[in-house]
Amino acid sequence: MLDFLYLNGWGAMLMVLFLFIPFLIIFVYVVYKKSTGQGSADSASSGLSTVEWVWMALVLVVFVGVNVISISYMPTVQTARAAVDEANIQQVNITAGSWFYDISTPLLINGSNRTVEVGPVRFSGTSSDTMHSFAIYDPDGDVLFTMMLMPGNPLKGMKSALKGPTSIVYTFDKPGTYTVRCLEYCGINHHNMRDQLIVVAGNN
Amino acid sequence: MASPTTIVGNIPFFGRMFAVDQSTGLEDINAWPALMIMTSFIWLAVAGLLGVVMPLVQFLDLGPLGPDLYYTALTGHGAALAFPFVFQLMVGVGLHRMGSCRGQPITGPIPALIYIFMNAGALLLTVAILFGLKISLVVMYPLPVVGVQTGQWSMNVVILGFTGIALVLITMIILYPIQVIKMAFFGKARQELLLSPRSLQDPGMLGMLMAAFVLLIAGIPLLIVASTILGFLYGIVPPFLASWAAETVVFQFAFFIFAHNLMEAMALMVISAVYATLPLYLADGTRKLYSEPLARIALWILLLTSLTSFFHHFITLFPNLPAALAYHGNIMSFGTGIGSALSIFTILATIWKHGLRPAPGLMAILLGFVLYILDGASAVVTSNVAWSFQLHGTMWQSGHTMTVLVSMALMWMGVLYHHYPVITGRQIDEQLGNLFVKLCAVGCVGGAVVMLAGGAAGMPRRFADWGQGGWMGYGTLILIFGLILGIAYVVYAVSLYRSREIAGAEFNKLLVDGGWGTVR
Repeated sequence: MLDFLYLNGWGAMLMVLFLFIPFLIIFVYVVYKKSTGQGSADSASSGLSTVEWVWMALVLVVFVGVNVISISYMPTVQTARAAVDEANIQQVNITAGSWFYDISTPLLINGSNRTVEVGPVRFSGTSSDTMHSFAIYDPDGDVLFTMMLMPGNPLKGMKSALKGPTSIVYTFDKPGTYTVRCLEYCGINHHNMRDQLIVVAGNN
Repeated sequence: MASPTTIVGNIPFFGRMFAVDQSTGLEDINAWPALMIMTSFIWLAVAGLLGVVMPLVQFLDLGPLGPDLYYTALTGHGAALAFPFVFQLMVGVGLHRMGSCRGQPITGPIPALIYIFMNAGALLLTVAILFGLKISLVVMYPLPVVGVQTGQWSMNVVILGFTGIALVLITMIILYPIQVIKMAFFGKARQELLLSPRSLQDPGMLGMLMAAFVLLIAGIPLLIVASTILGFLYGIVPPFLASWAAETVVFQFAFFIFAHNLMEAMALMVISAVYATLPLYLADGTRKLYSEPLARIALWILLLTSLTSFFHHFITLFPNLPAALAYHGNIMSFGTGIGSALSIFTILATIWKHGLRPAPGLMAILLGFVLYILDGASAVVTSNVAWSFQLHGTMWQSGHTMTVLVSMALMWMGVLYHHYPVITGRQIDEQLGNLFVKLCAVGCVGGAVVMLAGGAAGMPRRFADWGQGGWMGYGTLILIFGLILGIAYVVYAVSLYRSREIAGAEFNKLLVDGGWGTVR
């Protein structure tokens, strides 16, 4: 349940509805009930200060709870966990350009160098020209993660002293053909900048 | 140069909506706001048409022309909507609030420069877009330069577009804040202009002032970076001096520190306007918020938490960002939610305690506030580090941006209904005003939910091929709700166009009931 909530776009949608719908119901109720022009100041105001404290306590509990639980789903924590649990993290290097990916994976299967095994994979990427992103969609079409790939200085031959490649560790748990898309607008052929990654069952 | 009143009077259709009432002696606070507001609605018409083009070209098989048209419309729509429409509307109504609450005239060179720089800048950017510059609303630096290197557009249109952007930035970062600060702290109040006196501590004024300082402080770094790059493009600044500013990471940081705080500043301003306007429509005539200290605390929390929550823009931009900074952006974003929770309580408690006198303007403001909360929920969720990695770059972000802009525009349009009689001496058609609110409720909430759902389903933003991942259904719904919203805006325009003149005792009664005092 928590995995779905924090690792899926629809989980995020559920959280928005969880936060918004109770507010909407109360807001509409109060505005509708009080729109008759029948203000009853004395009786209606009693107990508001108690409600104020209860309301703020509720907001704090929800906000703190949502964020504390989310810590274990942060990519940095996932990366640390993968590093502890698994000795071998597969390395995939990516260089993005307009409008292609140069991907190098450790496996070469059926002539494809876009193959990794089920398990943790470290994706390290950079861009050779403008801002791109590297987003992986699972075979069902859900976004697993996206990371932006930032270039250097266009006035200095794309080399930058201020940044190295960005990287993230993701642990694949099922084989399949995954789609790679650029999710950062990068020019007139942006929508055609896509690739694929094949995840195969591991030997272990 | 013709006076703003004359210019408004000479513009067909739009001029009729905002013709300034010259009989009240209030031209010094009415003229420039009327011209700014009128021009903002012209830009809204442009943005609206381009907004419809985006989904339409996805449905029509136009070959290579399709993506070209889509990305042109995308860039033009965002550029017209965010700055010359929403920001200019906000400046127009905001300055009118400032003038009438502080008794300060809106005259002299600064209001003129605000108007000229904003609209000339937006016009130059639009011309550059029509000549091929497709860099989206957020510039996507270094795409403008790379686009030249890859033959997508010419350096001339980049220089033209950047010049336009620079003029718009000068308006938002320098001219507007200076005008607000000038009206807040300098000059003697003119009693005849002081219609609704407010101190600077009043929650209805405090947010205006906070926003001016936020824009000034958060915007200066971007102005320096952008000026350096523009100076290089013009050949004024040599490459070795411009090199640091051209670093992608430098530009991105400067850009998002400003862009993020621009939105937060606009939120501070509009929440302040809500705090000022709501009490004037209470059923028992109290004209006071449930708690002014609570309202002030809400604004201060929003200000303090929003200032550094910009780090949430870098969660996926730099996955290597130290976890503490990423989480700081995360927590501060939820902190803005605490400010919003206090605002929700203040507004609901005020209504609960004193009852409501429903009027189209107030209902538009309240609907805008509901949308603002929906947007806030989507914003804090996508600012969470875990969710950010699934949502960034998807239609979720476009839904968030569109909803925040539309919600703020809606609140300002509601506030404008309240200011309208003072500016024009006319009263809006209330039936049409109510219809506007109802249509907006359907178009705005429906559009926001569909765009968020599209993002949850992985639909990319700024993407010319919705069919690629089976996202056309979301696109169809976006078009439908967008058209409903477009109709709502037309109804709003007609409600102003068909406004009826009010004079004498009727005018005075309307102004007294509206909390303005008597002006004739």
